[in-house]
Amino acid sequence: MIDRIRRAFGSIWPEFYRQNNQHLDPYFTFTNYRKIWAIGICLLVVTALVPLLVVTIIHYQLLQSSVDSELKLRTERLASNARRAVTYFMEERLNALRFTVNEIAYDQLTDPDHLAEILRNLKLGFGGLTDLSVIANTGAQLAYAGPFNLEGRDYSNQQWFIECQKYHFYVSEIFRGYRDAPHIIIAVKSFRPDGSIFFLRATLETERLIQTLSSYETGAHAEIFLINRSGIVQTPSRFYGDTFQKMSLPVPAYSPRTQVALAEDDQMRSILMGYAYISTQIANTPFILMVIKQKAGMMQVWQQLRSNINWFVGLCTLAILVVIIITCSYMVNKLYRADKAKAEAMALMEQSNQLATIGQLAAGVAHEINNPLALINETAGYVKDLFVLTEQYRRDDELIGYIDDVLDAVERCGTITRQLLGFARKFEVKISKVKLNEAIADVLVFHHKEAAYRNIKVHVNVPEDLPPIETDRGKLQQILVNLVNNAFQAVDNGCILDIQASPAGADKVCIVISDNGCGMPEENLPKIFEPFFTTKEGNKGTGLGLAITYGLVKKLHGDIAVKSKVQEGTTFTITLPIRIQEEII
Amino acid sequence: MKRYHLLIVDDEQRFANMLAKRLGLRGCHCDVCYNGQQALEMVARTDFFLILLDLHLPDIYGVEVLKRIKEISAMSPVIILTGHGTEEDRRACMQQGAYAFMHKPLGIDELMAILAQIGEMSP
Repeated sequence: MIDRIRRAFGSIWPEFYRQNNQHLDPYFTFTNYRKIWAIGICLLVVTALVPLLVVTIIHYQLLQSSVDSELKLRTERLASNARRAVTYFMEERLNALRFTVNEIAYDQLTDPDHLAEILRNLKLGFGGLTDLSVIANTGAQLAYAGPFNLEGRDYSNQQWFIECQKYHFYVSEIFRGYRDAPHIIIAVKSFRPDGSIFFLRATLETERLIQTLSSYETGAHAEIFLINRSGIVQTPSRFYGDTFQKMSLPVPAYSPRTQVALAEDDQMRSILMGYAYISTQIANTPFILMVIKQKAGMMQVWQQLRSNINWFVGLCTLAILVVIIITCSYMVNKLYRADKAKAEAMALMEQSNQLATIGQLAAGVAHEINNPLALINETAGYVKDLFVLTEQYRRDDELIGYIDDVLDAVERCGTITRQLLGFARKFEVKISKVKLNEAIADVLVFHHKEAAYRNIKVHVNVPEDLPPIETDRGKLQQILVNLVNNAFQAVDNGCILDIQASPAGADKVCIVISDNGCGMPEENLPKIFEPFFTTKEGNKGTGLGLAITYGLVKKLHGDIAVKSKVQEGTTFTITLPIRIQEEII
Repeated sequence: MKRYHLLIVDDEQRFANMLAKRLGLRGCHCDVCYNGQQALEMVARTDFFLILLDLHLPDIYGVEVLKRIKEISAMSPVIILTGHGTEEDRRACMQQGAYAFMHKPLGIDELMAILAQIGEMSP
């Protein structure tokens, strides 16, 4: 399971992340690709995301301030409208009283029947009036019309009466009074023809006023109510105190205009508080109109918008991150691959140079050694001849054996020097059309006997329709002989040797020679094309076969690659061009 | 076995002498010389059954010697026996009509086999 996950991750994980080409390290231009990758991602993330986030924050602030000012404006407008309505309500009724005292003679006013008639007419015209009374200069009630039996009462000590004497007009707070029901008193001072003073007083129901106020209330988050100047709540409020209780908010400072301010209420909720001191043209009133909007409720639309923006910015950030990571990984991987290809080419070039140098050196050494070797050969041969011809020594097998050892050693040295000379040889390439199946068959002729004897199965699979390639037949055969020999030495009796050929792209063919023999450890693979590198035990190999093969393949403008696993076998893959140009050789 | 008359041309004197002795033991009569000029003179005088010729001679290069031998005695088979042979040398020698191009060190049995081969071909 873990292996499977690792394999799955291996395919999507960029190649450079598990950089493991120690033998190529010296040839790489950059050493730490993970660092390049991380720096690239950091830079891109910073340059891409910082502007986005800054713009988002600025946008937030702009939006917030514009929403705030819009809310303020709306609250102010609402407060103004409500103020106008309340002012008009009061003014209308005060003017009605003024009109009554100016128009109707004192005698008629003090006539209870007439007064009842006037009250009826006023109720019809304006509504909201409960009763009407005429009060003398002394505070004694002269006439009364209304549902309550208040005739003969003395108002000389009442607050409203004292105020009214001073200012001609009077509007009271809402209070319960003798009748024990919330009401407002309005009064007008007037003069009789003889110069004495009397007052016309009316009582207003609060319901009409409350109705008027509540008609301006919009939504669940706004409320409009009246307080008096000492902060006692006059009309019902849902959140800021019952009627006739002290309001839980501070009383706003006096201002002749409608005002709006941001504030916090006693429960720390953010509110917009609009207020206006109500005063009519002819009289001041004790009322302050309060318009309270709870900001949280009003901000719902804005919060929805903000949540949308948050989602959008979040998704954008995620998309940018994904794109940056993918792009960065891709680019760094490209860079890594290009660098790796370059490193491989450089390593290969170095190897080729090394091979060429070793080849030249080897050839020189071979030349110089061959002559003394020939002399040793002949001298030892002559000694042997003498022994063989002399009766005394002919039967001394030990002595003859020693001489044979010398001759064998010379022969072995001779083989090495011949191979070295072949390795360095500047050979000419003769191009002809070669059919791969024929070339392979020709090579295998030499191995039929050994294969039969050792019970090695040789499978050849060359498609019939594979076109002939233009190359040097002799060198191709030499390559094949070397590799087949190599394979025969590597496999045990009864193993399988597989030779396949197939087209590789439009202008190349690929020959694969694989065996299921002893294989080679991975650490040996980079060295197997080096001269004198051999894994064969004892004196079996010179270490030149594969080096020569490598040189030959390169001569034919091809490539040779090897894969091997210990105890599983070795596969050589040769790629050759279908056509090589003679002039470029 | 017939008693072949051979010429060994090699600047490595001890090698040439030793080879002559060994071939002598095998029933050949060998003349030995150590440079090209001498070889040409001997070839002009005697009709050898076989000439073993080294390439790196002190006076004349082996290929040139071969060419001149062939001018003097076209029918004498010449075996080039060299420690320094390159592919160009081999090609040049084969073009000039050398019988074989062999590398030192050469086993005596191999040489005897070639001798036998030539012996069979010659009348």
